[in-house]
Amino acid sequence: MQVGLQHYLVVSALLFATGLLGVIIRRNLLVMYLSLELMLNAANLALVSFSRFKNSLDGQVLVFFIITVAAAEVAVGLALIVALYRKRQSAHVEDLTSMKL
Amino acid sequence: MSILTYISGWPLLAALLLVFVPANYRVIIRFVALVATFISMALAICMFWHFKAGQTGFQFEQQVPWVDSLGISYHVGVDGLNVGLILMGAIVGFAAACCSWEIERREKEFYILLLLMTGGILGAFASLDMFFFYFLHELALVPTFIMIGVWGRGERKNYATFQITLYLSIGALLALIGLIALYVQMGAHTFDIPALIKYAQDPHNSLSLKAQNFIFPLLLFGFGILVSLWPFHSWAPLGYGSAPAPTAMLHAGVLKKFGIYGLIRIALPLLPQAAQGYVQIIAWLALGNIIYVGFVAMRQRDLNLLVGNSSVAHMGFIFLGIASLNLIGITGAVLIMVAHGFLAALTFALSGYIFKTTGTLEISELGGLCRKLPFIGTALLMAAMAGCGLPGFANFVGEATVFFGAWSQPALHTATVLAVWGALVIGAVYMTRAIRNVLHGPLPQKFNQLADAANLWRKLPYALLLVSLFLFGCFPKLLTDKIEPDVKPIVTMATQARAGVLPVALNSTPAISN
Amino acid sequence: MNYANLPWIILFLPLAAATVIALFTLGNRTLSALLSIGAIVTGFILTVAFIAGNGFHPAVSETSATWLSIGTLQADFGLKLDALSLMMLLIVTGVGGAIHIYSFGYMHEDRSMARFFAFLSLFTFSMLGIVLANNFLQMFIFWELVGVSSYLLIGFWFEKPSAGDAAKKAFITNRLGDFGFMLGILLVWGLLGSLNFGELAAAMKANPAALGTAATAAGLLVFCGAVGKSAQFPLHVWLADAMEGPTPVSALIHAATMVAAGVYMLCRIFFLLNADALHVISYVGGFTALLAALIAVQQNDIKRILAYSTLSQLGYMVMSVGLSGETPAMFHLTTHAFFKALLFLGAGSVIHGLHEEQDIWKMGGLKKHMPITFWTFIIGTLALSGVPPFAGFYSKDSILGQALAQHDYLLFGVAVFVAGLTTFYMFRLFFVAFLGEPRTEKAKHAHESPAVMTGPLVVLSVLAVVGGFIGITTIYNSQFTPDAEKLTVAQQLLEPLHNIVPMLLGIGAVAVGLFAAYTLYGRTESDPLPAKLGGLATAMKNRFYFDELYEATFIRLHDGLAAVADFIDRWLVEGLCIGFIRGGTDLSGRTLRLLQTGNLQTYAFLFTLGVAVVLYLMLGK
Repeated sequence: MQVGLQHYLVVSALLFATGLLGVIIRRNLLVMYLSLELMLNAANLALVSFSRFKNSLDGQVLVFFIITVAAAEVAVGLALIVALYRKRQSAHVEDLTSMKL
Repeated sequence: MSILTYISGWPLLAALLLVFVPANYRVIIRFVALVATFISMALAICMFWHFKAGQTGFQFEQQVPWVDSLGISYHVGVDGLNVGLILMGAIVGFAAACCSWEIERREKEFYILLLLMTGGILGAFASLDMFFFYFLHELALVPTFIMIGVWGRGERKNYATFQITLYLSIGALLALIGLIALYVQMGAHTFDIPALIKYAQDPHNSLSLKAQNFIFPLLLFGFGILVSLWPFHSWAPLGYGSAPAPTAMLHAGVLKKFGIYGLIRIALPLLPQAAQGYVQIIAWLALGNIIYVGFVAMRQRDLNLLVGNSSVAHMGFIFLGIASLNLIGITGAVLIMVAHGFLAALTFALSGYIFKTTGTLEISELGGLCRKLPFIGTALLMAAMAGCGLPGFANFVGEATVFFGAWSQPALHTATVLAVWGALVIGAVYMTRAIRNVLHGPLPQKFNQLADAANLWRKLPYALLLVSLFLFGCFPKLLTDKIEPDVKPIVTMATQARAGVLPVALNSTPAISN
Repeated sequence: MNYANLPWIILFLPLAAATVIALFTLGNRTLSALLSIGAIVTGFILTVAFIAGNGFHPAVSETSATWLSIGTLQADFGLKLDALSLMMLLIVTGVGGAIHIYSFGYMHEDRSMARFFAFLSLFTFSMLGIVLANNFLQMFIFWELVGVSSYLLIGFWFEKPSAGDAAKKAFITNRLGDFGFMLGILLVWGLLGSLNFGELAAAMKANPAALGTAATAAGLLVFCGAVGKSAQFPLHVWLADAMEGPTPVSALIHAATMVAAGVYMLCRIFFLLNADALHVISYVGGFTALLAALIAVQQNDIKRILAYSTLSQLGYMVMSVGLSGETPAMFHLTTHAFFKALLFLGAGSVIHGLHEEQDIWKMGGLKKHMPITFWTFIIGTLALSGVPPFAGFYSKDSILGQALAQHDYLLFGVAVFVAGLTTFYMFRLFFVAFLGEPRTEKAKHAHESPAVMTGPLVVLSVLAVVGGFIGITTIYNSQFTPDAEKLTVAQQLLEPLHNIVPMLLGIGAVAVGLFAAYTLYGRTESDPLPAKLGGLATAMKNRFYFDELYEATFIRLHDGLAAVADFIDRWLVEGLCIGFIRGGTDLSGRTLRLLQTGNLQTYAFLFTLGVAVVLYLMLGK
C-alpha cells in the first residue's frame, strides 16, 4: 500500500481532533496547553505533507516559522501558567474565573 | 491660512495644551481656556466685521486637499448662512468658559472637553466639506455626553445621559447615512459642498425623485433629532436639565444649530423636489414644537426643564421658516438660529447661577429673587421677555420674519396662525408664570443670604450675551444684509424644480386650507 | 436750527435716560429722577418748539431709515409727523411730564425710586414710538414695548403677590389682543404688500376693494390689538387689576396714554376699516362703556372706580371711531387724558395723605385737610361727568352728536345712559370720599401733599377746564376733515348749541345722575344700593363675574391642554415609546448574556461548532 496524502491528512485531522477535544474537555491548564500544541502540530503535519506532495518548499518554510513562534509562545504561556500556579496554588480553569490576580 | 482656521483652531490647540498641564494648576487651566476662547471670540468678531455684506459666495476661504481618492478636502469659508453662527458660537464659547467657575471637580478634564466642544462646533460651522462638517460636529458632540454624565446634576442624571446619547447618536447616524447616500447618489466624487451644489445646478445631474425621496427624510429626521424636532424632542429638556450650565449653554446654544444648518446648507439645495414635498410635514412638526412643547413647558415645575422646553419650542419657528421655502422665511430661520443661540446660552447660564446660589431650581421653592439678586434677576427677566418674543431682542426679529415668510406661502396660513398663537400667547403664559414664581412674590426666609453676581468679571458673560441680543434685535440689518444674498441662491434652487413632478409625499398629505 | 432732527431727539431722550439710569445711576435716587423728568420735559419743550417752527402739518411729514429689508419684506424705522401724531406727542410729553414731576413727590419714600424712573422713561420712549411710528411693524414693536413697560410698572412692587399676579394678567391679556393684531398686520401685508401707513392709505385710496373679501377680517384683527391695549370687552379684565401699580403709573399708563393707544391706532389706520368692521367696533365700544360704567357704580376702591371709569370712557372713544368719528374720538382722548390724569393724581394724593388707604368708605371729610386736592378733584369730577363748560362736556357732546349724525339711536341711547351713570358713580365717589365727616382715624389725620405733587394737579385742572374750547378740535379736523371750517374760541364755546338734541339729553343725563348720587350718597355712612338692587349690585360688585368666567374657560382650557401635553410627553413619549425601546434593548441584552458564560472552554466548543457548521455548509454539498 502506498502511503498517500490522504493518510497524512487523516493522521493530522486525528491529531487536531484529539487536541481540540483536550482543549474543550480537560480542566487543567497544563493539559489544555499540551492539547493546544497538539493542534498546532497537526497543522504543521498537514503543511509538511502538502509541501511534500506538491513539490514546493513553501509549506515547510511556513512550518519553520510556526515552530519558532510556537517555541516563543510556549515560553510565554508556560511562564504565565507557572506564575498563576504560584499565586493561586491551582492550575484548574474553574478556579481562575476572575480576571484579577 | 484663513481666519476661520484660527477661530476653531485656538480652542482645539488649547485643549491639546491642557493635556500636558498638571491637574492641580487650576488657575492656569482656567486661564488657558479663557484666553483661547477669548482669542477665538475676538477673531470671530473681527471676521464678522470684515465680512462684506451684499455679496454672494464664500469669503475667507481656504482649501487643502486631504484624501483625493474620495474627494475629501479641508475646506473652510463663510457666507451669510454661517457668518452669524460662527460669531454666535465664539461668543457663547467664551461666555461658557466664563461660566465654568461653577465646576469644582476634575476641572482639567472639564475644560479640555469644553474647548473640544467649542473648537469642534466652530470648525463644523466653518467647514464646507461634508466630511469635516460631520466629523467636527461629532468631535463636539461626544464631550456633551461625558460632561452630562460626569458633571451633571440631579437624580435623573444617568437616565438623561443615556437618553441624550442614544437620541443624538441615532440622529447623527441617520444623517450620516443620508450624507453618504447623497455622496454616492450624486456621483460627483466630492465631499465639497459648494462643488456638489454647483454640480447639481446642471439639470442633467440632479438626483432622481426616488433618490431624493429616500435621502431627504434621512437628513430631515437625522438632523431633526439633533435639533429636537417634535416628536423627537424629549432628550432636550431632560438633558439640559441635568447638564452643567456651560455644557447646556454650548449645546443648546450652538451645537444644536448644526442640524438646521445642515438642512439649509445641504438638504434644501441638493434635494429640492423632496423638500417641496415635505413642506407640509415640516410645518406641522414645527407646530408640534411650538404649540405642544409650549404647553408642556407650561406644566414644568423645574426652572431648567421649563427653559429647556421653551428652547425646544423655539426650534419650531426655525422649522416653520424652513417650511416656508422662501427668502423671507429662511432668512428668518437663520436669524432665529443666531438669536436663539445667544438666548439659550443666557438662560442656561442664569439658571446655572441660580442653582449654584440657591441649591434648587424647583419653581415652587423659589420666589422674590429680584430683591436679593437684582442683576441676575433683571437678566433673567430680560431673557424671559426675549423668550416670549419681545421686540428689542434678536428673537423677535427672527420670529416676526418667519411669520411674514410663512404667511406669504398660502399653504401655510393655518400653520402661521397657530405659530403666532404659540409665540405671543403660550410663550407669554409660561414665561410670565416663571417670572411670577421665581422673581416676583415674597422672598423665602432661607434665601436671605443670597449673593448677586458681585463683580464685573462675574457679570461679564451675561452682559455679553444680553448685549448681543440687543444689538441684533435693534439692528437686524447687521445680519440680514449678510444673510439675504446667500439665502437667495438656495431658495432659487429649492424652488426651481417645481414643474409637474411633485413627489408623492405631497399628495398623501392632506392639503390644509388657506 | 434744523427742526427735522427734533422728533428723533424727542423720541430717544427718554430711552437715553432709561439706559443711563439702568446702567449708572441706580444708586442715586434723586439724580435718576431728575434725569427721567429732564428727558420728558425737554421732550415737551422740543415738541412745542417743533410745532411752533413747522406747524401741525410739517412739510416733511415722514422721515425714515431702513430697519429690515428682506426680499419683499421692507420695514422702516420712521417717524410720521402730522396733526394726529404731533398732538399725541404733546399729550404724552405734556401730561406725562406733569405725572413724572408728581411721581418725584409720590415715590419719594420708595427705596426703588431709581428703578421706577427707569421704567417710566422706558415707557415714555415706547409710547412715543407708537405715536410716531410710520409703519405697522414699528407700531407693533412699540406696542409690545409699552406692554412690557406696563408689565414692569404694574409689578413694580413685585414682592406683593397681588402685584405680580396683576402684572402677569395684564401682560397675557394684552398678548391675546396682540395675537390678533399680528395676524391683522400679516393679512394686510400679504394683500397690499406694504407696511407703511402712507403707502397703505394710498393703495386703499386707489382701490378701495384692495383687501377684497378679507377686508372685514383684516379690520377686526387689527382692532384686536386695540381691544387688548385699550381694554375693551372682552379683554377688559386686566385694567382694574393693573391698579396694583403705583398711582402715578395708573395715571400715566392706565388712564392718560397707553390705554388710549388703541384708539390712536384705530384713527391711524382708519382707512383700512370697512363698514362691517366699523359696525362691530362701535358696538364693542358702546358695550364696554355701558358694562364698565355699571361695574364702577359698585366699586369701593378709589382707584378701581377710576379704572372702570377709564374703561367706560375708552369705550366711548372706540365707539366714536366705529361711528366714523375720528375727531370726536381723538378729542375725547385728549380731554380724557387731562381730567383722568388729574383724577388719578388726585386719588394718589388722597392715598398718600391717608397712608395707603384706598377704600372710599374709610375716607370722608377731606375738604378741610386737603384743600388743593379737594378743589382739583372736583374739577376733574365735573369734567369727567360732562358738566358744561368743562372739557369733558365738549368732547362727550361731540361723540353724542356723532352717534346721532350716524343715526345709530341705540348707541346714542347707550351713550346718554352711560353719561348719566358716569355722573352718578363719580359723585358717589366724591360725596363719600371727600364730604361728610372723617370715618376713620387715618382720615382725621390726613395731610395735604407737597407742592411737587399739587403743582401738576393745578396745571392739569386748568387744562381740564379749558380743554374743550382751545382749538383741539380744529387741529384734529385739519387731519381728518380738512375742509371743516376753523372756529374761534368763542365759536367753540358755543359749538354744542348747533346740535341742540344731544346737548340737552347729555346735560339732562348728567343732572339725573347728579341728583341720584346726591339723594343716595349725600349723607350716608354705608352704601344703600345693594339693598335696593339686590343681585344686580352683587354682580356689579363682582364685575359681572368675567374673571371667574375666564378662569373657568380660557385658563382652564390652556391648563388642561398643558396637562394633556405633559401627560403625553411623560407617559406616552417618554414612558411608552422610550420605555419600550429601552425595555426591549434591555431584555435582548439579558437574553444574549446567557450565552456569555465566561468559560473559555465553552467558547472554544462553540467556536469549533461554528467552524464545523461553516465547513459543512461550504464543503458538505
